[in-house]
Amino acid sequence: MVNDQRVPVALLIVDDNPRFRLMAARVLADAGFAVVAEAGDGASALEAASVHRPAVALVDLNLPDQSGLDVAERLALGPEPLAVVLTPTHDAADFGDRIQRCGARGFIPKAELSGARLMELLAG
Amino acid sequence: MTMTTLPRTEQRVARSLAESADPQAALARALEAIGESLGWRLGAAWEPPAEQPDQLVCVETWHAAEVDGHEFEEASRGVVLPGGEGLPGRVWLSGKAAWISDVQRDGNFPRAEAARRMGLHAAFCFPFRSARGVLGVIEFFTGEPRELDADLLATMDTLGDQIGQAVERRRDSEALRSKDARHQAILDAALDCVVIMDHTGRVLAFNPAAERTFGYDAGLAVGQDMADLIIPPDLRERHRRGLARYLETGEPVLLDRRVEITGMTVEGTAFPVELTITRIDAPGPVTFAGHIRDISDRKAAEEELRASRARIVAAADAARRRIERDLHDGAQQRLVELALELRMARSRLDADPVEVAEFLDAAVETLAAATSELRELARGIHPAALTEGGLRPALQALVDRCSVRARLLAVPDERLPAAVEATAYFVVAEALTNAVRYADAQSVEVRAVRTGGRLRVEVRDDGRGGAQADSGSGLRGLADRLAAIDGTLEVTTAAGGGTLLAAEMPCES
Repeated sequence: MVNDQRVPVALLIVDDNPRFRLMAARVLADAGFAVVAEAGDGASALEAASVHRPAVALVDLNLPDQSGLDVAERLALGPEPLAVVLTPTHDAADFGDRIQRCGARGFIPKAELSGARLMELLAG
Repeated sequence: MTMTTLPRTEQRVARSLAESADPQAALARALEAIGESLGWRLGAAWEPPAEQPDQLVCVETWHAAEVDGHEFEEASRGVVLPGGEGLPGRVWLSGKAAWISDVQRDGNFPRAEAARRMGLHAAFCFPFRSARGVLGVIEFFTGEPRELDADLLATMDTLGDQIGQAVERRRDSEALRSKDARHQAILDAALDCVVIMDHTGRVLAFNPAAERTFGYDAGLAVGQDMADLIIPPDLRERHRRGLARYLETGEPVLLDRRVEITGMTVEGTAFPVELTITRIDAPGPVTFAGHIRDISDRKAAEEELRASRARIVAAADAARRRIERDLHDGAQQRLVELALELRMARSRLDADPVEVAEFLDAAVETLAAATSELRELARGIHPAALTEGGLRPALQALVDRCSVRARLLAVPDERLPAAVEATAYFVVAEALTNAVRYADAQSVEVRAVRTGGRLRVEVRDDGRGGAQADSGSGLRGLADRLAAIDGTLEVTTAAGGGTLLAAEMPCES
């Protein structure tokens, strides 16, 4: 995906920590991502996705009600697929090919989140 | 002595031996038979004492009815004759019968003085022997000197064999009987069950411990099949096959090993037992001894130990998971936020310095929050105050942080072994938590007192009471922790309400 900077990319942030959602929105706003919806758990994430139809979703691995990988799979491979990027607290390398199999584009550790990094992942 | 009395003497001796039940009686009655038949005055039997096989002591004496023999008897009983000395001594040494025509003229007769006073002159002495060798010697004395009577001596020699065999047979019987009695006493007193069975598995003997353990009277048990009596139905066939296989092949399966199986009482209650079967090596058909020990208590203790260990491991795992979660939800989140705040500050540096200051302020706060969370977490894992300062500062800190009024009334100043300090700390921490959370207490008192080699920790609250040491995983975890260092935990409801939690543990410096 090539981002035309004039048209913000619709973004859904799924994370149970409200401060992180806030910070991530601010960090990514500069790179042309506009948050159209936020969700604190898997159930509201799926609902928000079908209502607001984002192009990209950031999904935390550690959600309170279900596994982040399951939510990622439903968003990426469901009836209305979108680009999913996982945001683990640390490294997700331990998860190996589960990341690919669930349909996500890849992962970015939370502390390393930046607009440039996200764009790079979506482009490649 | 004429020939006609000698056979009568032999007969009389034979009869008196046959009528004697024990070895001492056999000797005494043989002396009497010979002395009376021959018409001599005094007789005595000599044997070596057990500890000195080359000497002789007088073990039995006889005197004719009309003779007062006590002086001679005293003289005889009072000496110890080495081999070769005196009449008994020389016969003992040579192994051959001897005749003294007149003891008062004999150069080797230590009891000559007594003989003189009693008017004794002639004497003979002969050995009595068994298949094992010469057992001792028998001597006789009479009132006038006599020339050697070769026939008499020959007859005595023969009698010596009979007497020796009779005495030894009776001694062997006695030894066997007392050995049997000793063995029976051992079986009777044994704490373990001992069941003797024959090669078909039939009970031959059933000791008192077996009676108590299995509930059968020995009288009823003997003659029954052991498998039917004390082995549960589903294991009987295996027992019988094992026994049969052993008899066929000589290959022991159960023999000579301690095996844990199930036993069964007369009421049908099954219980774990340790069984050892040994073969009894004795002449005749093969018999076996089964030693059975009720190990119900041991099994219960093993099970409790296993369960306690499992609980301790589970508690440690749970604690680690809590730490991981606390780190994840707490300090790690803060650090993520910190990274984003700093990144945003950096990105705003050229564009908007005011926003930079805002992000940096936020970053400083986030860092402070992270540090505080980590400090709390570390205190939960193992408080620095305890490691560095010991129980006094650490317990004081617990008491100060307690949300209800709590006081530390006693605590040792000196350092204690690390395991003791940690255990005491967690006992107080858990007790304070319970007092606040469950007991609705208004005030709590904490004491830690060291007496001798033990530390006693008491936490007393004025709350609801009713707690028990095995209810709730917190108290049980404490009990396990204390058990691991040989300590004890007691939870009681005090008179007038409130809970007293008392932990005691060994505490050597």
